[in-house]
Amino acid sequence: MKKKTYIYLLALVPFLIVAMLYEIVPLITVIVKSFQPDGGTGFTLENYQSVFSKLLYQKAIINSIKISLTSAVAGIIIAFLGARAAHQHQGKLNHVFMTVLNMVSNFAGIPLAFAYMILLGNAGLVVNIGKELGISALSTYNLYTMNGMSLIYIYFQIPLSTLLLIPAFDGVQKQWKEACTLLGGTQGTFWRKVGIPVLMPSILGTFSVLFANALAAYATIYALMMDNIALLPVQIAGCFTGEVKIRAGLGGALSVVMMAIMVIMILITNGLSRRFQKGGNRK
Amino acid sequence: MSYIRFENIVKSFGSNTVLKDINLEVEKGQLVTLLGPSGCGKSTLLRCLAGLETVTSGKVYLDNKDITDVNPKDRDIGMVFQQYSLFPNMDVAQNVAFGLKMKKVPNAEIDKRVKEMVDIVGLSDHLHHYPSELSGGQQQRAALARAMVTNPKVLLLDEPLSAIDALLRHSLQVEIRRIQQELNMTAIFVTHDQDEAMVMSDVIHLMYNGKIEQSAAPTEMYTEPVSKFAATFIGHYNMVPVDAFKKMTGIDGEGTDVAFRPEVVEISTKPVERDGCVTIKGQVVVSLPHGNVLRYAVMCGDHQVDVDVLFKKATIIPNNTDVYLTLKKDDCIFL
Amino acid sequence: MKKKSAGSVAIMLLVMIYLLIPLVISIIYSVFHKWTGVVPEGFTLHNYVDLFTDSNFLASVGRSIGMCIIPIIVTIIIVLLALFVTAIYFPKLEKYVQIICMIPYTIQGVILSVSILSLYVGSSSILSNRLVMLMGAYCIVILPYIYQGIRNGMRAVNMPTLIEAAEMLGASKIYAFFRVVVPNILSAIIVSSLLAVGIIFGDYVLIRNLAGTSAPNMQIFLYQTMKSDSTKASAVFVVIMFVTFVITAIVLFVKSREAKGKTHRK
Repeated sequence: MKKKTYIYLLALVPFLIVAMLYEIVPLITVIVKSFQPDGGTGFTLENYQSVFSKLLYQKAIINSIKISLTSAVAGIIIAFLGARAAHQHQGKLNHVFMTVLNMVSNFAGIPLAFAYMILLGNAGLVVNIGKELGISALSTYNLYTMNGMSLIYIYFQIPLSTLLLIPAFDGVQKQWKEACTLLGGTQGTFWRKVGIPVLMPSILGTFSVLFANALAAYATIYALMMDNIALLPVQIAGCFTGEVKIRAGLGGALSVVMMAIMVIMILITNGLSRRFQKGGNRK
Repeated sequence: MSYIRFENIVKSFGSNTVLKDINLEVEKGQLVTLLGPSGCGKSTLLRCLAGLETVTSGKVYLDNKDITDVNPKDRDIGMVFQQYSLFPNMDVAQNVAFGLKMKKVPNAEIDKRVKEMVDIVGLSDHLHHYPSELSGGQQQRAALARAMVTNPKVLLLDEPLSAIDALLRHSLQVEIRRIQQELNMTAIFVTHDQDEAMVMSDVIHLMYNGKIEQSAAPTEMYTEPVSKFAATFIGHYNMVPVDAFKKMTGIDGEGTDVAFRPEVVEISTKPVERDGCVTIKGQVVVSLPHGNVLRYAVMCGDHQVDVDVLFKKATIIPNNTDVYLTLKKDDCIFL
Repeated sequence: MKKKSAGSVAIMLLVMIYLLIPLVISIIYSVFHKWTGVVPEGFTLHNYVDLFTDSNFLASVGRSIGMCIIPIIVTIIIVLLALFVTAIYFPKLEKYVQIICMIPYTIQGVILSVSILSLYVGSSSILSNRLVMLMGAYCIVILPYIYQGIRNGMRAVNMPTLIEAAEMLGASKIYAFFRVVVPNILSAIIVSSLLAVGIIFGDYVLIRNLAGTSAPNMQIFLYQTMKSDSTKASAVFVVIMFVTFVITAIVLFVKSREAKGKTHRK
């Protein structure tokens, strides 16, 4: 009886082949190559040395972390307000709101870059309107900078974060609010003392998803800036697809750094969220 | 030789042994109940018979054949699960027909037998309804029909009624019993509800902590518990340590506790002298109605004794009244 | 109480306006000749006429669709098989399958594509074929979604009990899985496949890094067009968004029907 069941392990083989070929082996290779000189064998740390010493890559790391953090924070704040609004208001608008969020959640990449180019690009609509109406804040808007692009980052964070937070608000029971009111608390006290602490694990979880989402964002940025911006994903892709020569070691080192940043963020948010999860058993 | 026989069954999950050397026999045509608190191993024992769990050691015999290593699908056993386990993508008729199709019964006969069986469980009007369109009770009837239509050697029911509300549960208990007797089906019923076990079974096997605590007919199980656990699990017993009981009544016996049911005690404000009886002095603490019974809590020394009397308004004894409890010696069980 | 609700309405409206502006503007842009001032000038549909007579565009639509089919079918089959054996025979292995399936969530497009590229680009086997690399990468990218969809479906129908019930009626485990469980999780499979279609449809990173411009899908076509002709690009944009919305709408529809079925059951 025992022996026979091992035959069924065969059903795992196709899954393992695909995962090995296109996920596990490639990842391991990139990590290994990051410790090897380009085109050679042996162990070296020179790839990491250039990552941390060259200005371009230092800037890429700092820019990537900065934009990911700020856009994630902005996304969380808007999502919190939006999800709370959807939680407090019950009506037809909720349905519309959910539909819009779901619809635009797939609005990313090249199309998003295009829409923002039309809207805020050098000859974009808002810029033109700004010129005609003499509003310099609009007419001088420069989309093609880190700050200029932050609007795009925030844009693609909103549907994702709101859709992730709305189910969490379902866990905030009406009775808690009623109990809080009966005990003399205001709406503000409720959210400060009960609502946000209860939601904190979900908020932190969402935050780390948003951070990763922004950190890895590539298509939109590339469509606007090509390779000419100091951001990690753009620089990584540049190492492998650039016209000059493939620098697998350097690109690998950058990839490892990016993955490390992501893992560190996950560890931080998990650690924080554990402190908020009182009683332990809650998911 | 019995129809079903468990022989020295041991079942462990890792270091946790949930069945400890179980020996149990079931006669053909009987409905027996495995009764016990959750975690006592009753469901595991049932699943060992079904073949859904492999036994760690021991043998299972069904109809004179050793089925210990037979695949569940080849055991010819019908089973009804606690969760409605009907296939959601099939209607009642398709669900009931499933087992017959597996047995490659000709289509014409399948139709006939499905109709008959669905009729027996009273779902003729719902033949082409999907599980999601049925109530919990109807779903369990359909599951029963599905399990029985292949005419299995034994029918297993794993807490089939515990997800169904109380009122419907009682009518289904009676109905399952009727169908089982009508078809002369051998059935094993698992439950944690002692009332359910009492109503339905020919024999109750009370299980506790991986062992069979007591096997008896329902009435015997009620009147003659063999252990403290059996006494507390089935109905309500007053449990007084032997020493204290000796102080109250002067009666001594073997064991650690004396058990007697609340309804065998007579309560009176005056002492009663009768042959074969003992009298205990006490004071009423409180009286609470339990349905048609009034239950007095009476403090006798350091021990509380519950006394049940039929609830008649005129006879209520107020709290803090001194009372005399009269109890037949034969009704006291030394455990 | 009224006041609170008004605040909620305002917030939802503001968020929706922010989200819809870029879309609406781009749609308007696509049906006008010129929009350099405040008001667009010259209503026209010729962008769309141009587009649907452009064989390059039609080919890119075909590729976008074609590229979804193989990875989705492959991934569904491998995940179904893997989850079947782990759930029934080797529950201890389930968490490893889960880890493998969730890794792509964190590595995402860029790192995945460059890892695959640098590993196979020099190889002389079939693995160095750019389209093969792309298909493999798509399988991995959609893995988390397909995995979660199927696993949630299995949980929702209480798969172990269904299989046990079928076994007690004389069916083998394999028969029970494919004839009883799979039909019941079909809608979960459909929803996750549609999500996967959305992801592959919206992909630019993987196809650019792995296949280059040799086999442009709609995203690449949009990218190339927006560099040269922004009004035509806006029509491409509208077609892409339209397709994306249709996919999302089907997902929402199937999900809501599913939810209704569940409440009915109770």
